[in-house]
Amino acid sequence: MSSSDDDDERIPFIQRPEWSDVRPVPQDDGPHPIVPIAYHDDFRETMDYFRAVYLADERSRRALDLTTEAIGMNPANYTVWHFRRLVLEALNVDLHEERDFIDEIAVRNSKNYQIWHHRRWVAEKLGPQAADKELEFTMMILALDAKNYHAWSHRQWVLQSLGGWEKELDYCCKLLEDDIFNNSAWNQRYFVITRSPLLGGLQAMRDSEVSYTVEAILANPQNESPWRYLRGLYKGDTDLLVSDNQVSDVCLKVLKTNHNYIFALSLLLDLLCYGFQPSHELKRVVQFLGKTETDSSDANLATTICSILETVDPMRSNYWAWRKNNLPSQVC
Amino acid sequence: MLVCKSKSPRREKLGGPGESVRVRWIRCSAVVRLPPPAMDPEGLELERERHVLFLEMMMERLPSDFETQEINHLTLAYFAISGLGILGALDRVDKDQIASWVLSFQAQPRTMSDLDNGQFYGFHGSRTSQFTIDDSEVSSHNCSHLASTYCALAILNMIGYNLSNINSEAILISMRNLQQPDGSFMPIHFGAEKDLRFVYCAAAICFMLNNWTGMDKEKAKEYILHCQSYDGGFGLVPGSESHGGATYCAVAALQLMGFINADISSKPAKSVVVDVPLLVDWSLQRQAADGGFQGRANKPSDTCYAFWVGGVLKILGFYHFLNKGALRRFLLSCQSKYGGFTKFPENMLPDLYHSYYSFAALSLMEEEGLKPLCVELGITAINDNGI
Repeated sequence: MSSSDDDDERIPFIQRPEWSDVRPVPQDDGPHPIVPIAYHDDFRETMDYFRAVYLADERSRRALDLTTEAIGMNPANYTVWHFRRLVLEALNVDLHEERDFIDEIAVRNSKNYQIWHHRRWVAEKLGPQAADKELEFTMMILALDAKNYHAWSHRQWVLQSLGGWEKELDYCCKLLEDDIFNNSAWNQRYFVITRSPLLGGLQAMRDSEVSYTVEAILANPQNESPWRYLRGLYKGDTDLLVSDNQVSDVCLKVLKTNHNYIFALSLLLDLLCYGFQPSHELKRVVQFLGKTETDSSDANLATTICSILETVDPMRSNYWAWRKNNLPSQVC
Repeated sequence: MLVCKSKSPRREKLGGPGESVRVRWIRCSAVVRLPPPAMDPEGLELERERHVLFLEMMMERLPSDFETQEINHLTLAYFAISGLGILGALDRVDKDQIASWVLSFQAQPRTMSDLDNGQFYGFHGSRTSQFTIDDSEVSSHNCSHLASTYCALAILNMIGYNLSNINSEAILISMRNLQQPDGSFMPIHFGAEKDLRFVYCAAAICFMLNNWTGMDKEKAKEYILHCQSYDGGFGLVPGSESHGGATYCAVAALQLMGFINADISSKPAKSVVVDVPLLVDWSLQRQAADGGFQGRANKPSDTCYAFWVGGVLKILGFYHFLNKGALRRFLLSCQSKYGGFTKFPENMLPDLYHSYYSFAALSLMEEEGLKPLCVELGITAINDNGI
């Protein structure tokens, strides 16, 4: 990575013989610019030459090199990227080379929309044979930041457009092993089990996924991600969510441990609102918590849950109070 | 080069054009003798005057770090001007000068038949992509962008410019070229990423121009609904992780398009377009133990999400359920002594983006001295001319 050395050695375009025939086109900021930017001389000069080749529509090797320099300084400029694509096409450049170029600049610009868009353009042209390389590339970026939104978007696009689903569930498992709190990895897991053409869809995967998720919840009941994932496994099927004992069981198990039970109570409240009939044991456990945390003991179970949440979840106590006052009439 | 109307002679003396804004902030803070922020967040106050000064600095000259954002020059202007608007300090800017500067970015078709050529005739993001060498060149180098067009109209709107003076037909007819078969929008005619951000921009543009011929609302709604995740929040594209910014774009666009009832909180179950109870639950859960809002589950709190997620709750009518005291303490712990706000409490230097969304978040909270926001447009005033 010698970019800073390159900067030091940069020769201005005006001194480069190969550019002597080009008249730079200065930026016209007009008489009264608002929020003017204090451009560096190098930046200004590079963009002046870019404007010149862009206006002349010069699709040449030196124009391509110029866009490389301009992108190095100004990677968000979509006009430069657009022109680069025109030049790449005109010169019929080997897009594998272009992919190497993106590899190089993407690491230090991994949150730049334009670079990811360009990457997609290249991968799309290369077709399904590029899938492995693209998946590898996103793995490399995700190894540096496992929640990089752009990398995940690109990865989902690759899977859907170019394929490569075979090892995706294993990859999700590995990332969740590294960090079970990584919500991006949970989201990807949901993406895989609902959309992979190899796994048979949500219904086919539900049982094994519920087991996996319950285990994750019991290990870290304060982790929001698996709780949301668990509900997601019953998306569009509230009846099954209510009737599947595995759901109420995991709530009960967490409540019995007597700590980190906010998400368990929250899910239980929703189950009750959907018509769930709680067991005696579940009632007893909640009422025990109610006696420790609040004064209410004579109320119904849903009311008691709201009262506990009002106390133990201070960021949302107004919300739980509102829920308490707006419970469905038939709730237990 | 100076933009601010009322310049104190004291600040005229501060450094030449080569001096970094950072140094100027420090000097300014010293010159105006503002007390250093108290260490106890309970006692923190919004340092309004310091923030006005910070934004005036930005209006005058952005440091060279902003080079890499020059393509979004109108967006940078939007943050500074709208920030001054929230702080009630728009009297410090020259509105005519701003209007003519903003209008100079508009791409004009040569004839109305150009509107069928597939290009978008909105506003350019910056001068680097705009060429006015001769008239014939202009249209072949049209780089106008949906986000810049949103920012341009938002600025014009908030400084009281009569939007009916704009060639809105050119914007709206050509904007249809950007909508995709799945309902999403790409931001620029030669292609770029397509996601909820640009659905939002398109909806805000139609709303501000009071004309919905620029988009197919039903298709846009379908796309938005596909972006709701299993956890209730919205991702930027279908299948992606729920994210505070994407969720704002989704909900605000639905609101602008008229798909969300004003009384949604009284009967959430009857909402036909989104799973509102799950969305509300997800949004409220974003307020973390430190009082701030995170953009995604299990991520640190960040000032900007106090607006993005707070805005969602405001639009849905659930804003009063968040813990305002805790949020205010978090935001004020990110108030920089140089004016402006930082992203995280541990950061030293403010940035324009997080400053703007902190002002906006405090306005949602009805902080004293701040102007109220039109939350779904992301700006203060709605003037009588355009809307």
